[in-house]
Amino acid sequence: MIQFDGAAVQAEHPAPRQILAPLHLSLVEKRISVIGANGSGKSTLLKLINSLVLPTSGRVLVDGLDTSARGSAVRRTVGFMFTDPLSQLVMPTGREDVELSLRRRYRNREERRAAGERVLDRFGLGPLADQSVYDLSGGERQLLALATVLACDPKILVADEPTTLLDLRNEGRVRSLFRGLGQQVVFTTHSLDFALEADRTLVVDSGRVVFDGAPADAVVAYRELSLHDTGAAGSL
Amino acid sequence: MRGHASLLGAYIERDSMLHAAPLVAKFIPVAALSVLVLALNSAWATLAAAGLVSLAYLVGARLTVRELVQPLTRMWPLILILGAFQWFNAGPLTAFIVVGNIVVCVLAALLVTLTTESQRLLDGLVSLARPLRPLGADPDRLGLTVALMLRSIPYLVGAAEDSRDAARARGLERNVRALILPVFIGAVAYAHQTGEALAARGLMDAENDADAS
Repeated sequence: MIQFDGAAVQAEHPAPRQILAPLHLSLVEKRISVIGANGSGKSTLLKLINSLVLPTSGRVLVDGLDTSARGSAVRRTVGFMFTDPLSQLVMPTGREDVELSLRRRYRNREERRAAGERVLDRFGLGPLADQSVYDLSGGERQLLALATVLACDPKILVADEPTTLLDLRNEGRVRSLFRGLGQQVVFTTHSLDFALEADRTLVVDSGRVVFDGAPADAVVAYRELSLHDTGAAGSL
Repeated sequence: MRGHASLLGAYIERDSMLHAAPLVAKFIPVAALSVLVLALNSAWATLAAAGLVSLAYLVGARLTVRELVQPLTRMWPLILILGAFQWFNAGPLTAFIVVGNIVVCVLAALLVTLTTESQRLLDGLVSLARPLRPLGADPDRLGLTVALMLRSIPYLVGAAEDSRDAARARGLERNVRALILPVFIGAVAYAHQTGEALAARGLMDAENDADAS
């Protein structure tokens, strides 16, 4: 379970500014989508769960672990997937990157190699394992990024716009993979169809959760919000 | 960034004596050769070291002439500038020794990464760092840091090539700012991204760390 206990994020530089207003949420559903405009605070909300960002006030608990005090334990529980897979892949080839993820679990090199092969095969990436990550297509890279995260077998997967850079076919592949995952998944997206596949949806606007509920209702609320903003911009 | 550049210096699979040799058996001779050739500072030593390194590539590691020459194709602007500077300031012999020694040292260092799988390299670095544990060093973090530092070199080479192409496309190929600034900014962004990616996977956390935030 993920619990936001008045967690807020405030930036001090260049001038004091609230990035996220205090959140009071308990996330227990298996699939949770987060939608909202660019710069609304969605990514910050996700990074709070993995302790990549720490709350400046309040606290976030993941399975009872305080992200501010137990960062290492939280990171072992929560896998994080970035929007751009190249931000995530630090080794030159897929095989090396997956094996890097497995270093903690497998100290023996041969066991690590075998486990890496299994992970790559599970995602159909075996034939691409020794290619430069820069030579892979966007979809292949995103699958590889997902493989490197899931190699650590996290209990919770947090994904920041995992389909934004993908074409329609690859978006379908990633969505299909997400549907088959056993982990609790929290993801942000600009694809409203993808958001509808969740059990619960949060709408974030200007650092506040302005809607929290059923995905279909959330999408309606988000559309109204966007139309209102577009109308306001048009009347300027 | 260019795909080919990202694999510069990356492991090349071969069935060879050097591929099978333990990391320390490659690291020590490479370090010794580099120190020796720089200390001797003579054209004969440079030539002999170049011959030895070439032999190690072609026979010891069973790599091809193309794989031996490939790193030089990316180093040529540096070789040219340095060579010309030394030629005008100290004469052709010094230019040959200085440039030759740099090429020999780079090729020798690359031989280690070309013949050692990244995981073996990482394991080897962790083992080398283990004696430093009583001093408070974390061998896993130290090994990972060095391995990532080595891996960032091809990234920077690729970023420099991209920057050169971008400058050329805008007719700014002679503008030093247009060539260097994007590489510098890219390097900082790359370091930041890598740090965040490692943090997200918990790879820089100390083992069994209870409260390492």
